[in-house]
Amino acid sequence: MASNDENDEVTPTAANGEKLGKLTSQDITKLGLLSIFEQIAFSFERMQAPGFTSNMLPAFKKIYGDSDEDLKEFMTYNMEFMNTEPHMATLLQGVVLSMEEKHEDRELIKGVRNGLFGPLAGLGDSIFWFTILPITAAISCSLAQSGSILGPIIFIAVYLVVGLSRIFFAHLGYGIGNKALTSIGENTKYLTKAAGILGTTVIGALIPSYVTVAFADTLVFGVDGSSTVQSVFNQIMPNILPLAVVFAIYALFKKKHANVMYIILGIILISILMSFLGWM
Amino acid sequence: MQITLVQGLLMLLVGFICSIDQQTEAFYWFRPMVASFFTGIVLGDVQLGVQCGAVAELAYLGMTNVGGTVPPDPLFAGIMTVVLAYTTGQTPEAALGLSYPFALLAQALGILFKTLYSFVPHKLDAYAAEGNVKSFNGLIVAVTVLQSLVFGVVIFLCVYALQAPIQAFVNAFPTWVTHGFEIAGGVLPAVGLAMLLLTTLKPETYPYLFIGFIVECVLANIVTSDGTAVFANVLPVAVLGTALAAINYAYEKKIDETAAKISSVSNGGDSDGI
Repeated sequence: MASNDENDEVTPTAANGEKLGKLTSQDITKLGLLSIFEQIAFSFERMQAPGFTSNMLPAFKKIYGDSDEDLKEFMTYNMEFMNTEPHMATLLQGVVLSMEEKHEDRELIKGVRNGLFGPLAGLGDSIFWFTILPITAAISCSLAQSGSILGPIIFIAVYLVVGLSRIFFAHLGYGIGNKALTSIGENTKYLTKAAGILGTTVIGALIPSYVTVAFADTLVFGVDGSSTVQSVFNQIMPNILPLAVVFAIYALFKKKHANVMYIILGIILISILMSFLGWM
Repeated sequence: MQITLVQGLLMLLVGFICSIDQQTEAFYWFRPMVASFFTGIVLGDVQLGVQCGAVAELAYLGMTNVGGTVPPDPLFAGIMTVVLAYTTGQTPEAALGLSYPFALLAQALGILFKTLYSFVPHKLDAYAAEGNVKSFNGLIVAVTVLQSLVFGVVIFLCVYALQAPIQAFVNAFPTWVTHGFEIAGGVLPAVGLAMLLLTTLKPETYPYLFIGFIVECVLANIVTSDGTAVFANVLPVAVLGTALAAINYAYEKKIDETAAKISSVSNGGDSDGI
């Protein structure tokens, strides 16, 4: 398929000469809904490629009708490795389809697809995993701790909106096509940084709220045993022990590349030891 | 408390649905906050489910699927924390520590599937080359349903079939062991938070960690005369964080724009005769 000029208004026709309509807004909404399951059939080898391909097929068939050759080519190049944050995958699917609709050169589409999923993953992860999840979890946990069902209900409601927001991302991707990609690339930098600041502030607040490390009131020192060990730490700064533990674990991950399994096992063993000694 | 066969089978269903959600990351029903809630409903103790969900959610906060890695399984942790608290009468914190082997079991199962399923893309490649959409879609749905079924059945076995031996095992623990698990339950959220910091903490975001920490320490101590907290959750800190992020966003953009202007002016300097 030769690449047409963007302003070329020629309606594409299928092999049998039937006129083919362009994608409607409903088609893109449908893409957004299908892409809720974009990560289906995930495996280590191609990761998200199967779902990424499958979600786009109804819209692609509308563009190309029964053109078998195009369908084969489309499915084959989309089965190449794909791994990004799922919402960003939906955005990318919108971009790919809008380029397919304009009959851009497939090598170019492939280049955009393969070049963009990595940077988009960074942006998507920092928004969805490292900002929305900690904040939603923090608010619903503070309600749920007292047994209020509002906790899980708020969590479910937020993620219903987050899940359905893929409809928005499908339209966004389809609307911008490949034209505004450079501007996304530039704003990614600022947005990722802003999301990082928000996430870090919230994590800072979660440390005193949810990490509990305190020595037992029975653990005392001094000649007359008048001061508890914990009171000394409280005088330095409240919640200094939870802060110290978070940083200690962070250092083990960062400097020693410790495996999370061993860290958790270590915490359980040390806790049991502390309990045995009667220190905590 | 005993878990009945009907409850066990309902848990199979919960496990099946949440596992589909876990594979697709569709609506985050695989997070402990939701999985524990569902488990509490099935067991008829919603409050216990919700409390266990809060404890387990925080511990597994940083355990994300980012980059295609498979962490200890939050779905199994969420379900088993409730089940263990329900059947053995332990506190949610202690039950969280006890649920850890099950989270590891499910992690291993998840890795096994994602490895075994490496044959799937090759089969899909063949269907793609034929343009066979029907078989293509059929296979990806089939492998997902299969994996979810296996997860559901394993949950049924852990919840129903194994409850007597697990109960006997836990009840044989002396108090200092179960209290140890309680302590661990209080410390485990630190792992989740430390893992989040691995990606968010950079030289330029360090100050914000301490701002959030100190502000929350202060807010948490503001109580009314009858002792209830005025700021009951971290939402105020999230609003503060958003404000700080917005300030930084505008500021950094402006710096770059100014820098671009300066460099364009200095490039054009010769012709301007400055």
